[in-house]
Formats: sequence, structure tokens, C-alpha cells
Amino acid sequence: MRSVSRLNKFVGSGLLAAMVFAFFGCGNFNAPMQTFASGSDLAKWITSLYIQITIWDSIVLAIVLIVLALAIFVFSTREGDPTEPHEHESDLMLELAWTIAPALILMFITIPTVRTIMRTQPSKWPANAITVQVHAHQWWWEFDYPGLHIATGDEVHIPINRVIHFELYSDDIIHSFWIPALGGKRDVIPGQVNQITLIPSVTGEFYGQCAEFCGLSHANMRFRMVVDTADGFKQWVAAQQAPPVEPQEAAAKNGEKIFKNAPCAICHTVRGISGFSKQYDYGFRGPDLTHFGSRGTLAGSIFDNNPKNLAMWIQDPEKVKPGARMPTLGLRGTDLHDLVAYLESLK
Amino acid sequence: MSDHALNPAHAGHDVSHEDHPGPGLYLLIAAILTVLTAAEITVFYVPGLQPVLVPILLVLAIVKFAFVGMFYMHLYYDSKVFTTLFVFPLLLALLIVFGLLLLFSHLQGVLSFVVP
Amino acid sequence: MAAQPKPLAFEHPSYLHDPGGIWSWITTVDHKRVAVLYGITALFMMAVGGMEAMLIRAQLMVPGNHLLSAAAYNEMFTMHGTTMIFLVLMPLELGFFANFFIPLQIGARDVAFPRLNALSYWVFLGGTIFLHLGLLRSIYGLPDAGWFGYANLTERMYTPGINVDCWDIGLLILGVSTLLSGLNFFVTIVNLRAPGMTFMRMPMFIWAMLVTTILILLAFPALTVGLIFLFADRFLDTHFYRVSAGATPILWQHLFWIFGHPEVYIMALPAFGMISEVIPPFSRKPLFGYPMMAYSLVLIAFLSYGVWGHHMFATGMGPIADATFSITSMLIAIPTGVKIFSWLATVWGGRLRFTTSMLFAVGFLVEFTIGGLSGIMHASPPVDLQQTDSYIIVAHFHYVLFGGVLMGILAAFYYWWPKITGRFLSEKLGKAQFWITAWAFNATFFPMHFVGVLGMPRRIYTYAPHMGWDFWNYFESVNAFILGFAFLLFFINIIWSAMDGEIASSDPWDARTLEWSIPSPPPAFNFAAVPMVTSRDAFWVRKYGTVGTHGVAPAIAGGAAAAPIGAHAEVEEHIHMPAPSLYPLIFALGVFLMGVGCLVWTRLIIMGGAVTVMSVIGMVFEYPSFGKFDPAMIAESTLGLDHRKVGMWAFLGSECVFFASLISTYMVYKDRNLGGFDAMILNIPLTSVSTFVLLTSSLTMVLALAAVQRDDRKWSVFWLASTVLFGCIFLGGQAFEFTDFVMQGLKIQTNLFGQTFYTLVGFHGIHVLIGVCWLIVLTIAVARGKIGKDRSLAVEIGGLYWHFVDIVWVIIFTLIYLMRTVKHA
Repeated sequence: MRSVSRLNKFVGSGLLAAMVFAFFGCGNFNAPMQTFASGSDLAKWITSLYIQITIWDSIVLAIVLIVLALAIFVFSTREGDPTEPHEHESDLMLELAWTIAPALILMFITIPTVRTIMRTQPSKWPANAITVQVHAHQWWWEFDYPGLHIATGDEVHIPINRVIHFELYSDDIIHSFWIPALGGKRDVIPGQVNQITLIPSVTGEFYGQCAEFCGLSHANMRFRMVVDTADGFKQWVAAQQAPPVEPQEAAAKNGEKIFKNAPCAICHTVRGISGFSKQYDYGFRGPDLTHFGSRGTLAGSIFDNNPKNLAMWIQDPEKVKPGARMPTLGLRGTDLHDLVAYLESLK
Repeated sequence: MSDHALNPAHAGHDVSHEDHPGPGLYLLIAAILTVLTAAEITVFYVPGLQPVLVPILLVLAIVKFAFVGMFYMHLYYDSKVFTTLFVFPLLLALLIVFGLLLLFSHLQGVLSFVVP
Repeated sequence: MAAQPKPLAFEHPSYLHDPGGIWSWITTVDHKRVAVLYGITALFMMAVGGMEAMLIRAQLMVPGNHLLSAAAYNEMFTMHGTTMIFLVLMPLELGFFANFFIPLQIGARDVAFPRLNALSYWVFLGGTIFLHLGLLRSIYGLPDAGWFGYANLTERMYTPGINVDCWDIGLLILGVSTLLSGLNFFVTIVNLRAPGMTFMRMPMFIWAMLVTTILILLAFPALTVGLIFLFADRFLDTHFYRVSAGATPILWQHLFWIFGHPEVYIMALPAFGMISEVIPPFSRKPLFGYPMMAYSLVLIAFLSYGVWGHHMFATGMGPIADATFSITSMLIAIPTGVKIFSWLATVWGGRLRFTTSMLFAVGFLVEFTIGGLSGIMHASPPVDLQQTDSYIIVAHFHYVLFGGVLMGILAAFYYWWPKITGRFLSEKLGKAQFWITAWAFNATFFPMHFVGVLGMPRRIYTYAPHMGWDFWNYFESVNAFILGFAFLLFFINIIWSAMDGEIASSDPWDARTLEWSIPSPPPAFNFAAVPMVTSRDAFWVRKYGTVGTHGVAPAIAGGAAAAPIGAHAEVEEHIHMPAPSLYPLIFALGVFLMGVGCLVWTRLIIMGGAVTVMSVIGMVFEYPSFGKFDPAMIAESTLGLDHRKVGMWAFLGSECVFFASLISTYMVYKDRNLGGFDAMILNIPLTSVSTFVLLTSSLTMVLALAAVQRDDRKWSVFWLASTVLFGCIFLGGQAFEFTDFVMQGLKIQTNLFGQTFYTLVGFHGIHVLIGVCWLIVLTIAVARGKIGKDRSLAVEIGGLYWHFVDIVWVIIFTLIYLMRTVKHA
């Protein structure tokens, strides 16, 4: 039964995907990373160009296929036919035509392309733009809001209809920052600060992922981008700026102790409790956990954030995320339970 | 000696170096190269010439390059095929050098060596 | 003119027949046998690369699959890419088909440098083994950083294992092999064409190969330089791609793609050539628009050097660079379109014969067009930002490289196999293979456009369910296995045909080019009498009297009865074929040992180097006409030039790109130095003296040549020895300079200035060292009377190399030393 419904889903999503492809992104089914996107001004410009080129490509492909079909099925003979083919070796007009016609089509593609390049790579942005510093690590995303004193991991919130300016930093190797729904990707290159500037125009939760191969867990380097309403963003900022919640339950209180005493605190910041320390800088650090409980996902956004997944992750990070830098601490039983309870309480 | 070599009669059988010049010309070229190199070094040391250092040095280097290529490597006398075989890659090499310099000079603006 | 040749029994055994057994294959220098060796290796690697693809698809069949670990998956996609490009497509096109058919199509007896050809093969085999050497250490020992090996993931810090070492050194070795084949084929095509075969009479495959070899010569040096930097970073702890020292990993991407985009055409152009050979005979028409076809090849090749940035639109090169690279990339569509339409026009109005070969050619037209058109999307930087590194790119290049190139190769297999083996491949199995491939290829790769549009990134070993990707991945995997089955049919077909295939006549397809005028399989010497070429489609004209088919009586069409032209001709008395040689294998062994030495035991590098040098010297003197002026050869050559000299110049052209890559790296990095030593350390007085010394050595070199040419042994030795002496003085100066710097504290690891200076000037020094060794050998040979006037070419060629080293120094002296205070970037 289960497999049948799964198969239905396969077929259903497949057909839908085909329709999406055919109708250039007008479909409305579950494909959170689809690239015919219109979640921001950037995405709309790209999509518009994407559609134009797809149409030109389709026209040319159709012409080639029609000519090929005509050549094979209509304007040729088969083996055994007594007539010898004509020795037609060249035709200046024809050859000029198929040199000039593609050149014209290319002009129709190149001009909007260059205009879109200039539009999508502004060298200036308004002073009230919200700057988000994106730090790529092997294999998770850190988001800092320099003006707002917020740091978060795996999940980034931005308000709708404001200019958002992403600055891309890498501490280790080359990654690529990609949120299809809001526009294209940019590589995150160590020693170089790349930018993406966009104005989100739709609220919702969008999926992002590292797009440049970055080693063992490249596939497990995802993130979520939440576009809030202006009020929603204000509330989120206030909540994130607040100090961490005091643990109430006994289990969570015990968990706080474990967190402080176990190596967790070396790499993970919980404001007021622990801080990533330069002294123990091994070249990598873990996400800021001050408001960990408020996030939807964990471990590079590969799991939903719930106690069961968190316990599984802490127990053996390497097993569920190959190459993960977080060590196995050998916590089990009540210790593990209490630590999970504490972390989940950090709303 | 130079008379002897400037007269190609003895090299009659080989089309590929039948027209090669003799030691006289080689010595002349060597003298020119020496003078040019001396000029290069002089330019380097004269403080007043610093503003025009780059163009002068580039021109001198190109002239030396051309002299060695044309006379010592016989491009001037040999088949033009060889010149083509060499000059085309040379132009491509120049394209690569200039392309990379331009691309990286843009990069210079977006670099941050301070890892945040 | 169109006289019907009489069928005749062949008196001469084919190239396959040799009583020498396996030894005759190991020492062979016959281009046909070398080609067969290439073919066998490449087909074996095709099976391996195919298995890797199957494993990739099996892993991606369902979301969250655990069939392969992340590490194993990364190795599989790395090796699938590396294998298919360097060990399958290129060796099949260059090593197998080009090697076999360039001499046959241009009416030559062999390639220009037969032993170099064998040497290329053995070095290639060594590189192939080397890439997989990590398996000896661990089952997870294969390269795992992608075929593109982006820095700085490839730094020892991020990939500590042997994996990337094997990849780096393996590709360096393969680069040597490819460069030498490129050089060899280039000279062959330029200088060994049969009398009358002008450029505009060459078969289109030869045109394609000519352009391809130029691309190889001028593209591979950039990769070599990039790999050398990587090697230095991994083994000598330099910082070419390390941000901590002020370098940028982007440098690798530039060097890699300066090579990488021409590389795409190195793979694509031979397939274009093959299609141009296959379509005319099966359409019974000459190739349409021949001049435009040839010019468009040249134009594509030329443009391909100006488009490398389109692989890097996401790296933030800035709007101007993006727009420039975008426009140049789009321009390539114009000559490519000309080719597609010309092929269509060739089919149009033809009398079509749908053999398997023709079916694959038609398949090529469809699939390559799709791949080319999706390429236009990626050439638009904004659109590319949504596409790059997603599955739509995977779809695109599989349409180009599989649907295009591999279908072209398969068409060539079915077309040329009878010439190679004298037997047909089964048409029945072949057609089954074609139709299964046509379905399964499109069903595997077309949906990748969908998952790409749906945002699936490349190179991920696992993905979450419910992303809209599940169905299509499942569908792709199932069809990939079907595609694998189609290739199983192909392998069965090959083995069956080799053992029990239907015997083919010399001209089974009623074809148009010279290779069909000789027996199948051809005798070792190819042509009993060197053919005279009076027009394009030389063999067709001989058979039917005109270029086209117009006016030919149908009675003689069909051609199956036509016997090879050369078969009844008297075999020329003095056909002299190069003797077999073991040195190519020894050379390759030496190179391989040097590579292994880098990994395990440093002393092995020196031993390997010694073996390599000795084998080169051995090879030179093994050849009785070493350095000999050969009027007959020059008279027969197309350009009236000695091909050793043509080869040397082509090599020097290639070296230009090598040094350009090194020099631009120096200029780019010089100003990014993070403090410490910089160019002010350079000792101008000392280097000025060195410059004079090197210039003087060039003078003594030409004087030596002049002395050799007038057979004056005493002065020859004197001037050669002087040159050696000056070279040694220069090297001594450089050794002093380097020691001085090291004593002051500037090591190659110290900073960006140190590493770029030492590599650039050091590589120039290595060239001087090679030149000095070369000159020492020449001096001894002259002194012992082995080189006189008649062998002056040996000195001339050594001299060319020496002068080149000199002019590179002219540039280095100016740019690095005298312009040390100038800011470049």
C-alpha cells in the first residue's frame, strides 16, 4: 500500500515536473528548490531571461528537428533507389542565411543578458539595506547580522520588501550560496567577499543549499531562508537579541551543566553561558546555539529540529553526517536526555 | 671567415638552411643585443627615467626577442610556416597574460585578506 | 580514369600479422598497432567508467540511499569524470581513431614520429594506472575532489590522503602523453600529406584533428602549470591556492578553465570530424559546404580560448568580465550552427543507407543540437546563476559529450571497424544497441533538465525526499541501467566480430576517402604506392571520376566489388618502415617511477629520472638517421620542410603558453604578497651578468651551427663547448642567486613572491639545464664524428631550443628583474 502511494507520488511529481518544465514554472507543487522562481526582484529578472532563452532555444531546436525530419523522410531516397543523388556541394545564399540568422537570434539573447547582468550586480545598495554576513563552513551555514548583533546557523530570517545585502565569507574552502526561490547562486570564496543584493517579494520558508562541491558532506550543507513580514521580522529580531532562556525543568538545568562541562562550549556559543573561544580555535567552530530551540532544523538543515533527531545527532554526528566536525562525546542515557532537553529549551 | 659563411654556395643541398646568414651577421646581432641589454640596465639605474621605465623596457625586450627569433632562430630566413607556428601561440600567450591581469585587477577590489 | 580495378589477392600480410607475438606488440611503433593498444585500453576504461556511472545512478535512485558512503560516492563521480574524459573519449578519438586514420586518410605510411607515438601510448598507460594507484593503499584510495579538482579543497589540509596526489601526478603524466600525441599528429597532418592533398582537399576528419592538435598544444600547458602549483602546495608546502598567504583559489579555476574549455573542443571536434566522414558515404553525397565546415572548425577553436570565464560566472568576476565572456561564448554558437546545418544539408537530397553507423550519426545530430542549445542558456550569466552546479549542467554536458561525442565515436566504430579488423560489426546487434541507446540515453539524461530546473545540485551523494526530484531520479537510474545494457551489447558485438565477424572487403561502404583504397586490414606499410591526390574525396574520384555522383551510371554504383587501388600495384622497392623499439616503454616506465617516487620514496624520483634520460638518449642514437638531412623525406613532405624542425617549432609554441601561465601567475601574485621578502631582494648586477652570459651563449650556439654546417669539426666542438660553458655559468649564477636568497631566509614556502619567483625562474633554469645536457650530448657526438654536415639538423634543433630558452630569459629579465617595482594588477 505504502509503496503504491509512493509510486503515485513519483509519477505525480514527475508529471508535474514535466508540466513545470513545459509551462515555465507556473506549476504549484512541492518542489521547494525549483529555479523558475519569483520570490525576489533578482529571481524575477533571472526567470524572465531564462524564459526568453528557453523559447529561442525551443524554436531553434524545432527548426533543426523539422529540417532533419524533412531531410530524412521527405527529401531523400533510400538505398536501392535508381536515381543518383544530386552533387549539391554548396550554396552561398543558404550558407550565409544560416550564419546570419543565428547571429540575429543571439543578439536577441545577448542584449537582455547584458542588461540583466548590469541590473543584478549593483555596485551600490541603499544605506538602509539589511546586511547579512553569510559564513560558509564545512558543512553548515552561519548567518550574522552585523547591525543587529544576531548570529544564527542553518536558518536565516529576512523581511519582505527590504533591500537585503548578503556578504559571503568562507573560512575554509569554496562553497556556493544558493536559494533558488530568491534568485541565483554566488560562490563563497575564501579571501574574497562576494555579494548578492535582492528584495524579497514573497513571504514563506525557502530552501537553500551549497552548490559547489566542498568535500565529504557537500550534500548535507543545506539551509532555510525565512522571509517574514515586516512585523514578523521585528519580533524575530527581538527574540533573537534576548538573552538565552533560563532553563526551568530539572532535566534542562542538569543539561545546562553538562553543556558547560562537556566540550560543547568550546565550539558553540550560548550568549552569557559560553563563547566560541579563540584560545581553542581549531579552525572551525559550531553554530551559535543561543536560540537553538527556535530553529526548525539542525545539523546543516538536514534534520527537523526535534528531541529525537537532536539526540541521534549528538550521539554520533559522524554517522548521520559524514565528516562532521562535531566529535562523538559518548553521552547516553539521562545525560543525553538532559542535554537535549536543555538545548530544546533555548527558544 | 665571414666572407666564407656569407657565401651560401657550400650549403647548396639544404633548402632549410641554405639562406642562413653567416658569422658576420651573428656577431653584429650579438653586438646589438649587448648594446640593448646595456641600455636596459642603464634605464633601470637612471632615476630620471623611472616614469617611462615600463614602455622603454618593454620595447627593448621586444626588440631583443625579435632579433634572437629572427636571426639566431632563422625565422627571417626560414619558411614562413615556422614563423606562423611560433607567432600564433605567442599572441595567444599574450592574450592569456593580459586576460588574467585584467581579471585579477578586478578581483583586487573585492578581496579581503582578513578572515572575519 | 574511372577504370575498374580488378579484384586481386593480397600478397602482403596485414599489420595484425606478425610472427613476433606479444613482444612485437610491446615494441611496436606501427601507428595502427599503437592505435589498437590505445583502443583496447580505452574500451576497458570505458567499461570501468560505465560501472562507476552505474554505481552513481544506483546511489541516487532513491532519496537518502545508503548503498554508497559519501566518500565512495565522491570517488565515483570524480573518477567517472576523469576516466571518461582523459581515459576514454580522448584516447578513443586521438589515440585510437586519429592514430589509425590520420596516416591512412592523408596517404602516409606512418605518423611523423612513430616511436614518439608508441611512447605516448605507454606514458598514457602509466598515467591511467597511476590515477588508480591509491587503490593499493586503501579501497577508498581513488581521487575524490572532482575531475575539476577545485582548489583549495585539493590542499593537503582538506584532502590529506593519497587520493588527490594520484590525481595530480596522474594528470601530469597523462598531459605529457597527450601533448606528445598532439605534437606528433600535428606534424603528421601538416607535413606528411600525400602529394596533391592541399589543405582544402583534406578529409574533414583530418581538418578536425588538425585543429584539435593545435588546441592540445596550446591548452595543455595551462593545466600542467596549474597541476604543478598544486603539486608544490601538496608536497612542498607552498601557498599557490592558500588564502592564508594572500593567494586565491580562483587562480586554479582560471588556469584549469583556460585548459578546460579548449579541452571540451579537444573532445568535440574529432567527433565533428567523424560525423563528417560518416554522413557523406551513407548519403551518397559529398559533404555540404566544405570550406565553411573547415573555417568554422578554426573559428570554434580560436573562440574557445576566449570563453573560459563562462565556467566561473558564479565566482564574482564582475559585470564587465561576465558580459565579455558571455558574448564570446554565444559567438561560438554561430560556427557550431553552421556545422549542424551543413550536416543537415548533406543528408538532404541524399540516397540514405541506414547502417548502424548512419543511425548513430543521425543520433549525434539530434542530441548534440539539444546539448548545444542548452549551452546557450549557460552562456547567459544571470541564467547560469540558477543553473550552474545543478543537474541541468549535468544534462547539458552529457548531451554534448555522450549524445554528441560518444555517439560520434560509436558511428565511427561501426564505420571504420571493418578497416581496422577486416570484419564487420554485427548490424543486427548494432541496430539493437542504437535503438536501446537512443531511448535510454534520452530517458536518462533528458529528465536531468527537469531535476535541474527543480533545483537539484550536482555532486550530492544524497538528497531529501519530497523535493520534487524523487520520481525523475528513479526514472533516470532505471534507464541508466538500460543504457548500460546497450553498452554490454556493444562489447559483445566487438568481441564477437573480432572472432567471428563477417569478412569485410576493402571498401565495404562505397566510401570516399583514401583509407578505403587499401586492403582491410591494411598492410604494415599502408600504401603500396603513395597515392596522388587531385581533388577532395580522392578515392571517390578515382572510382567514379567526379567529385560528386552526378552522371555516374548506376551500374557501377555499389562499389562492393571495387578492389583496393594499391593491391595490384607493385610495392615500391624501398618502403622502409621504422624498426621496433623498446625505448618508448622504458621511457614510460621511468616517468611512472618518478611519479611513484613522489608518493613513496624520494630516491625513486632520481632513479626514474635517470631511466627517462637514458631512454631518451638511447632512443636518439638507436635511430640510424639521427639528425640526418634527408632530401628524399623533405621532397616527399608536404611543406618541403623537415618534420623534426616543424615539430620543434610547434613544441616551442606550446612552451609559450607554459611560460605565459607561469609569468602571469608571478605578475598576479607579486602584488598580493603579504609582506616579507619581495622583488627588491633581486640582485640586478648579478642577473645582468647572467643575461650577458646567456646572450653570448646564443651567439656561440649559432656559430656552432654554422661550423657544423660547413663540416668544421674543430670549431663545431669549440663553439658547442663554449655554449655548454656559458650555460653552466648561467646555471651557476642562478644556483648562487637561489642559495643566497635561501640563506637570507627566502624559501619557496616563505611567501607568494618566493614561490612564484622560484617556480618561474626555476622552471626556466630547468629548461637551461635540459638544454645544457642536450648540448653536452651534441658536443660529444660531434667530437666523435657522429654529427657532421649531413646531420647538422640535430644541432639546429638543439639550437632552436637553446635560443628559445634565451628569449624566455629576455622576457623574464625585463618583467621580473628590471620591472621589479612596477605594480601589475
